[in-house]
Amino acid sequence: MSKKAVTLALYADPDEAGNALRELRDCSVPGFKMDDVIIKSPIDHPELTELLNHRPVYIQLFTLLGVLLGPTTGLVLIASAQASFIYQTRGGRPIVPFPPDMVLTYELFILSGVLMTVISTFVAMKLPGNRSPLYNASVSEDKIGILVKAEAQNIPHIDEILRRHNPTEIKGDHSR
Amino acid sequence: MSHNVHGHPQMDVQVERKFVPKVKDLGPDVNWAQINKDVLRSLEKPRPVFWIIFFSALALFSFGVYCEVYQYQNGMGVADLNNPQVWGLYIATFIFWIGMGHSGTLLSALLHIIHADWRKPIYRYSEAMTTFTLLTAALFVMVHMGRLWEFYYVVAYPNERWTWPNFTSPLVWDATAIGTYLTSSLLFLYMGMIPDLAICRDNAKGARRALYKFLSLGWQGTDRQWGNFKVAYMTMACFLMPLAVSVHSIVSTDFAVSQNPGWHVTSFPPYFVLGALYSGCSGIITLFIVLRYVFRFEAYMTQPILNKLIKMTFAIAMVWTYLDLIEYATTWYGSDEVAKADLLYRATGDYALQFWGMIFCAMVMPFTLLIRYVRHNYTVLLIISLILNVGMWLERFQIITPTFAKSHYPWTWTAGWWPSWVQWGIVAGSFGWFTMLFMLYCKIFPSVSMYEVKEMVHEQNLEGKAMAHANPESEQAPVGLLEGGQA
Amino acid sequence: MSLSNLIQNWDSFRKRRPYEDQYKDAPYKWAMVIDLDSCIGCNACTVACYAENNLAVVGKERFGKGQAMHWIRIERYWGEGEALETEFPERGAQYLPMLCQQCEAAPCEPVCPVGATHHSPDGLNTQVYNRCVGSRYCSANCPYKVRYFNWWNYPERAWPNPLELQLNPDVTVRSKGVMEKCTFCMQRLRAGQDKAKTAGRLLADGEVLTACAQACPTSAITFGNLADKNSKVARMWKNQQVDLAKNAQDKSEEGVRGYRILEDLNTYPSIVYLERLRNFAA
Repeated sequence: MSKKAVTLALYADPDEAGNALRELRDCSVPGFKMDDVIIKSPIDHPELTELLNHRPVYIQLFTLLGVLLGPTTGLVLIASAQASFIYQTRGGRPIVPFPPDMVLTYELFILSGVLMTVISTFVAMKLPGNRSPLYNASVSEDKIGILVKAEAQNIPHIDEILRRHNPTEIKGDHSR
Repeated sequence: MSHNVHGHPQMDVQVERKFVPKVKDLGPDVNWAQINKDVLRSLEKPRPVFWIIFFSALALFSFGVYCEVYQYQNGMGVADLNNPQVWGLYIATFIFWIGMGHSGTLLSALLHIIHADWRKPIYRYSEAMTTFTLLTAALFVMVHMGRLWEFYYVVAYPNERWTWPNFTSPLVWDATAIGTYLTSSLLFLYMGMIPDLAICRDNAKGARRALYKFLSLGWQGTDRQWGNFKVAYMTMACFLMPLAVSVHSIVSTDFAVSQNPGWHVTSFPPYFVLGALYSGCSGIITLFIVLRYVFRFEAYMTQPILNKLIKMTFAIAMVWTYLDLIEYATTWYGSDEVAKADLLYRATGDYALQFWGMIFCAMVMPFTLLIRYVRHNYTVLLIISLILNVGMWLERFQIITPTFAKSHYPWTWTAGWWPSWVQWGIVAGSFGWFTMLFMLYCKIFPSVSMYEVKEMVHEQNLEGKAMAHANPESEQAPVGLLEGGQA
Repeated sequence: MSLSNLIQNWDSFRKRRPYEDQYKDAPYKWAMVIDLDSCIGCNACTVACYAENNLAVVGKERFGKGQAMHWIRIERYWGEGEALETEFPERGAQYLPMLCQQCEAAPCEPVCPVGATHHSPDGLNTQVYNRCVGSRYCSANCPYKVRYFNWWNYPERAWPNPLELQLNPDVTVRSKGVMEKCTFCMQRLRAGQDKAKTAGRLLADGEVLTACAQACPTSAITFGNLADKNSKVARMWKNQQVDLAKNAQDKSEEGVRGYRILEDLNTYPSIVYLERLRNFAA
């Protein structure tokens, strides 16, 4: 096994980037998988992401966990706080009244859902984290970057594929 | 294209198609690199009027701080509050500010869920408006408290005395709802801003670069990041919309749950929510015009987008008008004599000027939005959007004050109560505080969402391509296609 | 611990008050009867209350601004009707001493964000000054407007030296920013209850009086324990056909003149007022 190397190609046209991805998918470079390809783009390109193998998103599962656990814990905590508060009786209302507790539970439902979503998203996006050394500022401007990780001896081959689709630039540790 | 009606043989009629170009929200010459350039420029050198606005806001805020310190030192008495009039302008303005925030969520969350793309250039500052109005509203909770230094009693925190907040109090619901809303909309604002912060990071220098680098958390726009980001953003939008509705409903329960005439109204929650959206929308129009001029956003805050915003404002204004009138109608038709007397007092008593002022500003003035000249003349529109918000502020004033002035118990009926300069000073200071924060935000952070405007441009390009390739045989009708002829 | 408490006492936590015979087994339920026919509007009750409960004298200007602190106030109304307006105008004035009604279902209690106001086991609506944050929601929701807020810092202004020496040592002097209200002279009740407890008995009827009841020259104010069926207050309530747990009273008997103020708001007050009688024949 040789060392892994990375190469980054920048495209101005999304269609060209798509063609490059299609060719990468159909190519027969030994040891290369589509999982090793990363797209970097200024906006979300669903049509390009489709060309990669399906990369599932699990955030909703955590959201579900949040909206189930948050309000139930919250309701129990609120009700037991009401029950253990020494001076309890107020305005003839029951000590553990449902309508107010439902209002608060509803808010906790949303709060825990939002918090779980945010936390799981940051974990899934691997943020905060370091940018890869090959990060190019133009992928936040108007270029689409295709980052391929492969074994060092295959890099020239992959570069050749990438170069066929009019990239504005190709750079990488072993590409030149 | 053609279909059977009552079993008649299918007629083969030649379908005539013609293209009517859709009104584009953005001009044709906006490209991705230009977007970065334009928006980043707003962080550098705004028009000089920015500094005028900022420093006047700072001055107003300082005066508000002076009034608050004066009140803090001497007691709430300096506000001329008294036994029936216990709330005064503080709670009225609290509702006003918390209402202002709701339209930001409407634009950023609801319009995101239904993919109304015209929101994209204007949602960022609206969402920021939400955050800052909530901060301003939270300020009024504090200002209003008799013992500001004990405000943490309202928070449920474990303590050795086993005392908790009173969960049956609408004020505690308020605190929970506002806390949830502030947390969620702040996270929503921040999360939606991360790709743009990365753009700032890639272009800034010095201390600002360090700030953006820290805030963008190392975003590099990978497919994995975008995929998760989109799902999370949509999920949060789905949480935020019902949250916004619940927040102002809960604020309305401060009144609807109580026994006072004019407050004990079943239709208060929807009435408040619509009032909130209404004042928020006109606030967004105001800020639209201001930002467009101050930061030279003419290419992004365009007339077609403003038109849509105005249409939405008008529709919401009409729903609010309906709910307001229906509230009066049910009171009038009902047999609660005290509530009836209160309604009559509002319209004819000491605060009749404010009542009819509200009717004029908030119910009659929106009809001027129907005039084409008004929609296209930004100076006039700016003034009208401010008048609408004056009307909405008066609405809150005339909910609070007349009810206290003529409540159930005749002995405490007061005539002609008027707030003192301290109250007015703090209210003015709150406008300064909001404007100051908002202007600072727009100077430090991109107030137009760059990546989403890029999405818009991308989609317009795709549409253009589809239009170019479209032909009568194609099954997929491109957007903007009208069918002529008969099928 | 709290969860088991919640489960064990679930039934009592879900109970609404007031209910029939709520104070059947309780030792005390403080209540009052005010006879408007006896009230001459002399304000002695108000003065007694100021002395007993360390109420701040706010001065003319602040009184005019509606910032007065009188826990009990004498309201003067002018009677309506032809006979009063034309024939006997001098008899039109009538007085109503207004103090906290100590409602069983008090509107002020559920709205307090911090639980500073709550219901005590002997049926009083109490205010914990140390807990109050001054949101004034209780006052906003009180239909009688008998809650008084410390708009100013009174300890410094109301009792200039040496007047602070006249303060009642049993009662807190409230600082600015808290709500206060009539307590039915709780300091007297507590002292009396403690004394009775030491002696191993319950308080006797009339053993403890509120300052206003004590000062009233015409004995218009009757104060006592409603839980004790034989107390004067309980008998008066019964004779006037007023039931604590009902919001609409049965007025079937001849000569019944007891009523509670704003009963239709379902507040279940603990003070019964006796209507004023008028004799126009004389």
